[in-house]
Amino acid sequence: MTGPLLDVRQLGVEYGARRSMIDGIRRRELKGVRAVDGVSISVSGGDLVALVGESGCGKTTTAMSIAGLVPYASGSIIVEGHDLSTLSSAERRARRRRVQLVFQDPYESLDPRFQVARIVREPLDVHRVEGDRDALVREALHKVGLRPAEQFLHRYPHQLSGGQRQRVAIASALVLQPALLVADEPVSMLDTSVRAGVLELLGTLRTEGMGILMITHDLSTAARYADRICVMYLGRIVEEGPAHEVVTSPKHPYTRALVAAVPRSDGAPRDHSLMPAGETPDPSRMPSGCRFHPRCPVLASGEAARLGIADRCRGVDIELEPEVGDHRVACHAVTVSITTHP
Amino acid sequence: MTRYLLKRLAFAALTIFAALTVNFILFRALPGDAVSGLKCRQCTPEFKEAQRAALGLDQSLWQQYVLYLKGLLHGDLGNSWRPPHPTVWSQLWDPIKRTLPMILLGTVFSVVIGVSLGLLAAWRRGSMLDRTATGMSLAAYSMPTQWLALLMVLYLAGWLGLPTSGVKDPDLEIAQLLGDVGWWELFIDQLRHMILPALAIGIVFAGDYAIITRSALVETLSEDYVLTARAKGLSRWTVIRRHALPNAALPIVTLMALSLGTVVGGVLVVEYVFSYSGIGLTVVQAISERDYPVLQGAFLLLTVAVVFANLFADLLYPKLDPRVVLR
Repeated sequence: MTGPLLDVRQLGVEYGARRSMIDGIRRRELKGVRAVDGVSISVSGGDLVALVGESGCGKTTTAMSIAGLVPYASGSIIVEGHDLSTLSSAERRARRRRVQLVFQDPYESLDPRFQVARIVREPLDVHRVEGDRDALVREALHKVGLRPAEQFLHRYPHQLSGGQRQRVAIASALVLQPALLVADEPVSMLDTSVRAGVLELLGTLRTEGMGILMITHDLSTAARYADRICVMYLGRIVEEGPAHEVVTSPKHPYTRALVAAVPRSDGAPRDHSLMPAGETPDPSRMPSGCRFHPRCPVLASGEAARLGIADRCRGVDIELEPEVGDHRVACHAVTVSITTHP
Repeated sequence: MTRYLLKRLAFAALTIFAALTVNFILFRALPGDAVSGLKCRQCTPEFKEAQRAALGLDQSLWQQYVLYLKGLLHGDLGNSWRPPHPTVWSQLWDPIKRTLPMILLGTVFSVVIGVSLGLLAAWRRGSMLDRTATGMSLAAYSMPTQWLALLMVLYLAGWLGLPTSGVKDPDLEIAQLLGDVGWWELFIDQLRHMILPALAIGIVFAGDYAIITRSALVETLSEDYVLTARAKGLSRWTVIRRHALPNAALPIVTLMALSLGTVVGGVLVVEYVFSYSGIGLTVVQAISERDYPVLQGAFLLLTVAVVFANLFADLLYPKLDPRVVLR
């Protein structure tokens, strides 16, 4: 297999672009919110890529788009070399089977009326998978660590713990033998004590060659388990690189702030000069230029002015540019310092 | 489970007892009685006193109440105060036989119309279709039943060629006496007579079902497991049928049980408009004649029906939602 399992290029997703009838009569132009704006991610087999960002930055929308739950306005999603938008709906369904989604809240994502056996079996029935479906169900349960599987087959979700539920959710994704697993905050609703178990499970799946895209707002989880980290801010990826590099030497001011905000075990105080000012802006009124500029500590401290890029920060939009090798950053200040001090 | 059932049955008995006590007191709290309204040549005060004594009205309220309870314990609902004083049970049985299938048909109408309207509205939430369906439901919900029934007599009956009054065709009744009519013809005739009243009740209550179904469905459709099902590749309709609707069934079943009481209220006026001699018409007649035993009997049966419908719904919940455990 050549090339990545999943290749997302310049993905754009808009919400609320539809005008209501009244708005049409009043001739009011409604501008849609661009929740995801030019996101590119690629995941190869055996890769665990973490998509990190705060609430509302478009992480989940990206995941839903990849899983086909939200239509995308621009860009392309390429699964195992096939561009989903060029496929017929039947082919697309078959392709989508290769990409499975695990949701954030295992208390909500399982139908309370279905027993475990039926939850895990349903995808097999939907896709009319050949073979002994019940055996596949047991195998999947075994794989996610619900052993012996027979003990769990006839339980209802409410009779399981949170960790067990999330394992059932993962089993119902695995049962279709996907090439790629998209996990949207897979552990954020779980007790800390069972998080490690679920994350280890994802780690094991990765070593077996599955590609995993994990969405999370927890940078330390991403640092511990991911191979690569993409940092997202307001619908855009602002920094992308090997997990270790992104965490130990973050380049984008936003990533630097995220890293600085992680509580440290040695109790060292936070460096407040790195913290962004104010709140995340409303995505329906996207800031001009670099979308982080209204909060950027580099601009606020006058450092940007010293570099002579303050106007560019305010007026010129910027996309990911390679810094070193596969570590890429979308920041005027970083670009300038590289070109002036190589 | 058995303990739960026993507990509920005891509670049901208590509810019924309380209801029949209130019924007993309420009717007698009205001024006047079955005899005071009598007007005839031989209705002298002495004659009226004699009548009162014959009906047991000369005894104290308390004594009457004890007598009534005693009779009930023996399964005796008492006798009608209207000459020739047939038993209440015989007065109620025939009307019930006519009303029950009509209510049943009406409920089928309202569930089918209501649930489909609510389903459409929830499916296309926020669209023109949703607004139309919700508007129609609210209109049906707030429509006076008798007014709708009258409109149906005026505009629908002729167009559909359906009878507007009675429970069966008088010609057919004579033919039945002569014995040259098949049961199938009789059945069709009675069905034709109950369609319009049932439809009137069905439309009015369809509003309730539509509104409840819509809100329950909108809620379940926003659940993550619906999204999960979509992500697994289920079509929108399959998701609704397999995941959303069964999870929305609880409030719909609750409404079915609860609405039984209000349906009878609707039956009262609908049967009056359509001269459908069922339980509603019997009650109206009993009220005008101050025939308390018949009224008490009718309301007792209604109470029993509502209490047991609710009990049945409660017993059904664990089947609909495995998270419900009866204790």
